[in-house]
Amino acid sequence: MAASRVLLAAVALALLAAPWLVTGYQRSLLLAILADIALAVSWAFFSGPTRYLSLATGAFFGAGAYATAVVGGRLAWPLPVLAGAAVGGAMALVVGALALRLRGPYFAVFTFGLAELAKHTLIWYETRVTGTVGRLLLSPPGPWTLYYTVLALAGLAVATALLLRRSRWGYALVGIGEDEERALTLGIDTTRVKIGTFALSAAFMGAVGAAMAPRWTYLDPQVFNPLVSFQTVIMALVGGATTVVGPALGAAFLGLVSELFLLRFRYVYMLALGLTLIAVVVAFPSGLAGIGRRAPRERQG
Amino acid sequence: MSASLLFDILVTGLITGGIYALVALGLNLQYGLMRVLNVAHGEFLMLGAYVTYSLHTDWGANPLLTLLVTGPAAFVAGLVLHRLLYARVLAQAEAREAIESRSLLLSFGLLFVLQNTALLVWSADLQGYSYLAIPLRVLGAVFPANRVLAAVVALALSVAFYVYLRRSLVGKAIRALMEEPEGAQLVGVNLTRLHGICFGLGVAMAAVTGSLISMLFELTPFVGLPYTVTALVVVILGGLGNVAGSLLAALLLGVVETVGVYFASSDIRLISSYAVLSLILILKPAGLFGR
Repeated sequence: MAASRVLLAAVALALLAAPWLVTGYQRSLLLAILADIALAVSWAFFSGPTRYLSLATGAFFGAGAYATAVVGGRLAWPLPVLAGAAVGGAMALVVGALALRLRGPYFAVFTFGLAELAKHTLIWYETRVTGTVGRLLLSPPGPWTLYYTVLALAGLAVATALLLRRSRWGYALVGIGEDEERALTLGIDTTRVKIGTFALSAAFMGAVGAAMAPRWTYLDPQVFNPLVSFQTVIMALVGGATTVVGPALGAAFLGLVSELFLLRFRYVYMLALGLTLIAVVVAFPSGLAGIGRRAPRERQG
Repeated sequence: MSASLLFDILVTGLITGGIYALVALGLNLQYGLMRVLNVAHGEFLMLGAYVTYSLHTDWGANPLLTLLVTGPAAFVAGLVLHRLLYARVLAQAEAREAIESRSLLLSFGLLFVLQNTALLVWSADLQGYSYLAIPLRVLGAVFPANRVLAAVVALALSVAFYVYLRRSLVGKAIRALMEEPEGAQLVGVNLTRLHGICFGLGVAMAAVTGSLISMLFELTPFVGLPYTVTALVVVILGGLGNVAGSLLAALLLGVVETVGVYFASSDIRLISSYAVLSLILILKPAGLFGR
């Protein structure tokens, strides 16, 4: 325990100091990886224990990013990020209330459809009503500001995940994942716990979307990208979704690979990503612990 | 609205619905029997379409005859995929939900692999050919001959499959497994073998549908997913494991969609199919004709 705390502190210090020590390219690489960590960790603290396979990450991320593009010019910096969090969280409250009654693949399909539905609705709305598909991001914050914003979000996501694991709320989530009816019988308000945590995780995703949006300077509805949903799931599963370290490590590894290969060898990278997903599911079912059986309290630490 | 317009819309809808029926039957077979929600279903359709396209443009093969290639090839591919991947996941004795989630992830992995393989082989450009693009006069209304042909073949195959399920021994075993998995195994139905056959048949239906639609539309490696969504809507509308329900729901959806496209516009087609899917999931997960 003490050793892991020292390690955590060392990693945190290194990340805080990093912008002074590395080149601009390396800093932007770190930024992307930190964003992936924030996404994977916040995905895992909901989907890991509850075993609700959410493919809505791309939708919440996109909503946050688009929100920045809409309000960005008018608000001082940290505010667009908060707006992104609010939009992501609010969207998840609605979606959660509707969809969290569904179990198994129905929930997954519903959440997957959400990103597509949001994208096409937005395209339709923008062409019909505003007449422009896409927005320019004027006067984005500097790269250092972005780096520390995303670092803070990643840190907050990890802290939230750690706190959840030790709290009654976290045990309730595990109880829901193991047997929802039983959890209900034991007096857990399962609806509130599920929707609340889902919204919290979506708020992080929205905030990350908002913070990453200035990287592109130009945004269109394609930012609702199902690839974001899948990458997040794969990152968390590769690392092991019921731990906190697992998704973070998976995100660091795959985030690096993605940044290095996605733009240059897009199809080959996506093909490899698919193969990774298949391999994880078939060959390492224990890496799938989040959707599988193991509960966090069995491997404390 | 005149009677001829009504007739026009109805037939166009049934043509669309006939094609939907065949895709949806394949998906229903996989989901109804194995609880494998194969989201890569449309990718097999896309591959079937590209193989027909290549056989036709490079070798001069008759598109309709390529069904004899794509169908069996896809069936074998399905058998192999089942043996290598799905059988292993299904064999892991665990909660049903966990198995369903895992096989779903597996199919998403397949989706990535197949789509990007197609992108590497055929590129992202639109490709197509023209076949039987001649007008066909039916009771005073005019329809493209290739569409009518594709729909007739698709419907014929769907009905043939329905009869096969009703009459043949394998078909009866499949229905037995759908209705009473444990009882069926007790009377000697080989679960794993039958799962393989069903998965193969499902893939073959998707690929054959793909061969048919390659005559009608230009192709990109992304044509598959919308068909997966449509097939999902149909399967969920018609009820899981309900073959007759799927057939009816497909025709119904085809007509409703044609009416929608006629009176509104075609760009809300995708929005509406996702919206319909979401609504059914929320309101009536057992399907309109659900048991």
